[in-house]
Amino acid sequence: MTNLDKYNKIFIKSFSVEKSKLKKLKYESVPQWDSVGHMSMVGELEDAFKISLDMDDIIDFSSFEKGKKILKKYKITI
Amino acid sequence: MKKNSLNSVELLDYQPNRYPFLMIDYVTKVIPGKLANGYKNFTNNEWFFPIHFPGHPNVPGALQLEALAQMLTVAITTLPGNKGKVTHAISHVVRFKREILPGEKLEIETKVLSWKRGICKGVGKGIVFGKIACEAEMIITIPEILDKFLPKK
Repeated sequence: MTNLDKYNKIFIKSFSVEKSKLKKLKYESVPQWDSVGHMSMVGELEDAFKISLDMDDIIDFSSFEKGKKILKKYKITI
Repeated sequence: MKKNSLNSVELLDYQPNRYPFLMIDYVTKVIPGKLANGYKNFTNNEWFFPIHFPGHPNVPGALQLEALAQMLTVAITTLPGNKGKVTHAISHVVRFKREILPGEKLEIETKVLSWKRGICKGVGKGIVFGKIACEAEMIITIPEILDKFLPKK
């Protein structure tokens, strides 16, 4: 499974969205991506990629696309 | 926190609920961030027995769950920096096994499964006369901490 597959899977599972909707997915754009959903998704990413996100990065993680850029800082290429 | 137990007065520093909604009497053991155990005595004087139900008093299920959640809260609010902070429930799944009647003592055992960035996932069980009366999977939060990690709107 590629990093992109893993990344997509976490968003699909966390927020119950279809793959085709991922690109435009943003914080609070669907009911499931609320405060608790945000922390749950971050936790899933940390487990999947064996990283620990800094507080500033968790705050900046405001969209599906933005997340890809943030993970690059942790040497995870999506 | 220096002690590993909290009496009925001491626990008020770590649990913001008050009469008639305080559902724990004593914390017999607390390991901050790990577990909190204790009990609630349901005496005939409880405010809800005359109305739940007339002729057949028993402890409302919602209050049994509240007792478990309040105990779990203590496991988190006893962590350094969390004393006195307000907690909110996010999600609870509860199962009830037996009625709790006037005069019975509910022994409460709760365990923290994870505590991260203001969200606590935990489990708890309530025991009466050695048998499980209720058990729950709970997610609670300290909004003041959680909010610091959220994307700005």
